[in-house]
Amino acid sequence: MAEVSALELSVADCLLVQIEAWDGTFEQFQSDLSRTFGIALPATVGETVRQPSLRAIKVAPRRFWLLYDTSGGPSVEVDPDLGALTHLGEGRIRVRLCGDRLPGVLAGCIAVDWRSQAVAPGKAIQTSFHGVPVLFVRTGEAECELIVPRSFSRSILDWLKDSAGGVELEGSDNSGMHPKF
Amino acid sequence: MLRIECPCCGPRDHDEFRYGGDASLVRPAHDDPVPEAWYRYVYVRKNPVGPHREFWQHVTGCRQWLVVERDTRTHLIASVSFARKSPA
Amino acid sequence: MNSRNKRLPSGGRIDRARPVDFTFDGKKLCGFHGDTLASALLANDVALVGRSFKYHRPRGIFSAGPEEPNALVTLGTGGRREPNLPATTLELADGMAAESQNRWPSLGFDIQSVNGLFAPFLSAGFYYKTFMGPTRRAWMFYEHFIRRAAGLGRAGVDADPDQYEVRHAFCDVAVIGGGPAGLSAARAAATAGARVALIEQDFLFGGQLLSKRTDGGAAAWLATIEAELRGFENVTMMARTTAFGVYDGGVLGLVGQQGNVDPDRAGSPRQVFTMLRACSIVFAAGAIERPLVFPDNDRPGVMLASAARAYLNRFAVLPGKRVVVAITNDSAWRAAFDLAVAGAEVTVADLRPVPASYLLAEAARLGVSVRTGARIARIRGAHRVNAVTLAGPKTQADIACDLVCVSGGWSPTVHLTSHLGVRPIYRGDIDGFIPGALPASQFVAGSIAGQYATAEAVEAGHRAGVEAASFCGKSKPARAPAKLDLRDTVSTPFRDPGSAGRGKAFVDFQMDVTVADIALAHREGYESVEHLKRYTTLGMGTDQGKTSNFSALAAMAALCDATIPETGVTAFRPPYTPVAIGALAGRAVGHHFKPFRRTPMHDWHQANGAEMLEVGLWMRPWFYRNSGRDVNEAYVAEMRMVREAAGLMDISTLGKIDVQGPDAAIFLDRVYANGFAKLPVGRARYGVMLRDDGIVFDDGTTTRLSENSFFMTTSTAKAADVLSRLEFLLDTAWPELRVAVTSVSDEWAAMSIAGPKSRDLLSAALPGIDVSNEALPHMSLLESAWQGKSLRILRLSYSGERAYEVYVGASAGERLWTHLLAAGEPLGLKPYGVEALGALRVEKGHVAGPEIDGRTTLDDLGLGRMAGKRTGFVGDVLRRRPAFQAADRHRLVGLECVEEGQRLRGGAILFKLGEAIQGHGHGRITSVTYSPTLGKYIGLGLFAGDLAIEGTEVLAAYPMKKEQVRARIVSPVFLDPEGKRLRG
Repeated sequence: MAEVSALELSVADCLLVQIEAWDGTFEQFQSDLSRTFGIALPATVGETVRQPSLRAIKVAPRRFWLLYDTSGGPSVEVDPDLGALTHLGEGRIRVRLCGDRLPGVLAGCIAVDWRSQAVAPGKAIQTSFHGVPVLFVRTGEAECELIVPRSFSRSILDWLKDSAGGVELEGSDNSGMHPKF
Repeated sequence: MLRIECPCCGPRDHDEFRYGGDASLVRPAHDDPVPEAWYRYVYVRKNPVGPHREFWQHVTGCRQWLVVERDTRTHLIASVSFARKSPA
Repeated sequence: MNSRNKRLPSGGRIDRARPVDFTFDGKKLCGFHGDTLASALLANDVALVGRSFKYHRPRGIFSAGPEEPNALVTLGTGGRREPNLPATTLELADGMAAESQNRWPSLGFDIQSVNGLFAPFLSAGFYYKTFMGPTRRAWMFYEHFIRRAAGLGRAGVDADPDQYEVRHAFCDVAVIGGGPAGLSAARAAATAGARVALIEQDFLFGGQLLSKRTDGGAAAWLATIEAELRGFENVTMMARTTAFGVYDGGVLGLVGQQGNVDPDRAGSPRQVFTMLRACSIVFAAGAIERPLVFPDNDRPGVMLASAARAYLNRFAVLPGKRVVVAITNDSAWRAAFDLAVAGAEVTVADLRPVPASYLLAEAARLGVSVRTGARIARIRGAHRVNAVTLAGPKTQADIACDLVCVSGGWSPTVHLTSHLGVRPIYRGDIDGFIPGALPASQFVAGSIAGQYATAEAVEAGHRAGVEAASFCGKSKPARAPAKLDLRDTVSTPFRDPGSAGRGKAFVDFQMDVTVADIALAHREGYESVEHLKRYTTLGMGTDQGKTSNFSALAAMAALCDATIPETGVTAFRPPYTPVAIGALAGRAVGHHFKPFRRTPMHDWHQANGAEMLEVGLWMRPWFYRNSGRDVNEAYVAEMRMVREAAGLMDISTLGKIDVQGPDAAIFLDRVYANGFAKLPVGRARYGVMLRDDGIVFDDGTTTRLSENSFFMTTSTAKAADVLSRLEFLLDTAWPELRVAVTSVSDEWAAMSIAGPKSRDLLSAALPGIDVSNEALPHMSLLESAWQGKSLRILRLSYSGERAYEVYVGASAGERLWTHLLAAGEPLGLKPYGVEALGALRVEKGHVAGPEIDGRTTLDDLGLGRMAGKRTGFVGDVLRRRPAFQAADRHRLVGLECVEEGQRLRGGAILFKLGEAIQGHGHGRITSVTYSPTLGKYIGLGLFAGDLAIEGTEVLAAYPMKKEQVRARIVSPVFLDPEGKRLRG
């Protein structure tokens, strides 16, 4: 692995689907997903389950986000009697951050205790970044992803770049394009 | 600053939440035609000194509506629970 | 070393190998690394450092910490200029250029010191009397003089170029104060396994231990425990950091100084504001020594005894060679002894008739002369003290001296413990206030709790640290720290009643409040301490009365013949010490002040001449500069384009909510005033939501995508409120409904194509899609795809023209926008902005934010028929209350200007013709526009229903511009009331 720089920031499109079970249909909902699409769901809010081609994140009671690595992952359907499915990928940007300065930079914008178990590697939380709702996924010891609403993404990227001392924005690794706002 | 311990997200600053008023009131049924019932629900609100049950929504988190028991004198929070009875 | 250098040849916690050059009022001076500005000034024998607030009296260095009332200086120039900094807290740095304040033309010769002669005019209540009384007129005359005369340093006016930062931090146990109690508490909590933050305002840890002799046991103990703490991985040592506020939820506001101190830290922020969230807090903030009140007690050369001891032992500065130590308690004797050991000629004047015999014995051994039962009656010396008159029970004596050390006992630093509203309580045995009953998560240790003896403070700190860690669930056994017994026993309190005489006897040095002012306030009935404070401005300076508070209470208690607890104490509020606004703002300045929302077409708008407008957090195109020279010309041209050909508008800011579930239709039926259950799939309906109280909440369009799935739009402004409201109803009122609501506002780029040529244009741009009137009639939906992205075309009209709302996946927004423009160019398609959009809807009589203002009902807006006889929806019952049916309620009307060459204005008040123009009239104009279609100014308004007869003329008064214009009441739908343009 290459030497870890102070802070690296890259941006990619976000392949994201939200699924949600009704109050009282969760058991059936979960077993359907597992049987038909091979997707395992995390048990508690903030927990994530890494599986081939996607990460499943529990973002609220009965509500999950499926964050795909690339297009072509399992396409999910939900029986309307069991729950709902909403595509959220167009409206969000996926920001990857890594480097030694990451905890310091984040301490300036997110009220998250980097050392808490709630954000241990593999965990995710939804919180506020300068008043903007973001999903923060701790992907490694000194790396994370922020899932940011598209309309706010330029403001947030500007903030991150400025507080990291003007790092250059890396192109995305899977879409090859900078986000359009 | 209040710190509210969301039952599913953990303790957070109050600016992640939206206030929703008195949680001890019972909302009339949607088709309750009695003006008195709606008048009481909308306008007749206590402003207690001491423990108060109130709604807060974790807006930048899980978006769940919560019932927070807060002491209006000390801002100490005795309990936080989901407003929905069975959030799973 | 010249004769004016007061630095001792050895000792102290300064680094003599690292000299530091600085200037004071332009004069070059030299100190050492480890000095404060104050200690370096004293070492250079600078006694006079500032002029006082009102009377311009000469003032010197009084303390050695943040309680300093006198020695305030200004640092920096231009945008970096920072006034009112206590020299006692400024870590000396190379090149530091300090200026004294409130003097003119120079510190030594200050013209306005004659203010002292006008003193009677500047006494207590001066401002109240001047503003409220018959002298108000005189104020106009004197204001300039007074404002120049009274004050502290001047703030800079340039923008501050420095970087500040806000940080979020977390710990288990926060320990405030790095003295013996705090160090011991931090060590105990860390040993127990807690994450500890140790916060110390000074640049060195040790607190009062730093004022002890460096060759004693205190220094060794300090070195050991500090090394031990630095070895803990779970301890953060925060020096140069002041805890300025305690907030609910265990949140502490900390401000750390860095940038202007150490050249190695160049590029780092000047100050860091840390919001520390702690599970438990140990307050070990120590105590502040009290001054004594006697005539001219503010003369340079009068200093707290603890300060003299700090300058001697910590900074190796002998602040005086002939010293009078005037005291009421045991602790200051140790300052006298240390000064004597260092070679000063010392006289102790103890107000107590019989001091402890061991003190007298030590005094005899060190050659310190002692006068018991004696007080200072008079100070001699104009710019610095050169002698005092000591008055004993029977005798009086003049003693030549160059330093007067005073001590009236100690006041625990309870400020932070009372920020959450816990009143301090009086303890008679120490004659001081200690923290009241604190919440379970807060602990105290050391002098703040009246535990003045070092040995006791160390033990109490340990206990508090263990308990605070245990409160956080961390309770590994902790070995007690090494004992540190300095035999600094506590004396019985002896309060100095204060003495009168010729000359001012100051209580609050910084605000120039004297005993006479307090007596005046008492005579005039301002006896409550809160009134006293506001009437005299006592304690309202930048030092917040840290040294004056207790003396003032004692003086008022004596005047009222009351006890201290009866007199009470004023509330302490944050901040403990001043905090720069820049630190609180951190990086949220300039374009980072708030996050902006940009639509997917934002870059195109900017590149193509759009004048952008902030609408809430959104940036929206206001108008396009290609359309006209200014907004007025442009919006009219853009309106014409829409009415005659077609226009393209970015409406991505609309709130969009995905509503799904087997019970979605039932849910919408309950939240909208009009019904949705019977809306066919593929059709759209305009809907209005009410609040519980029957007032209109928001409006928008909802489209049925399938049996179980709807696409809701809301106004831009109410998007977040509507979603929260829907979630509230589902979570709390109707949890049995199986419905999911999700914001998809960012998911879709949205654009509106409006105008007679809109359909031609759309079919030209999207050749594969049938947009004929049969396939896509008014209020219907077409779902398709464009370049692999979902596409929704809704035939809706806001402008009154045939129009379509086109939604596409946000990432393809700009591509579709430019594609439509290119395809529409031959037909004259151009973009239009929000100004034209707002004007088009006024012509069509559509209500928007100015009319849906949180006060209007469906009936007020002429929309009552939407609800008809429906029941069971939110707001249904209360909207029918009698008051909302009153005949004179303001109802929506149209207005047209009937005067040639005149215009209507939004906000104008409406009166009947011939009526006196006063009061609130009978209504107001809410929205106006020039109508190119009608060739005149038109508007919407809310006007008393019983007077609103179409054809009636009214007077629209706009007092701000002294305008009165006649207008005619007409139907609010100015254009195409039958809706022929938008159908077909």
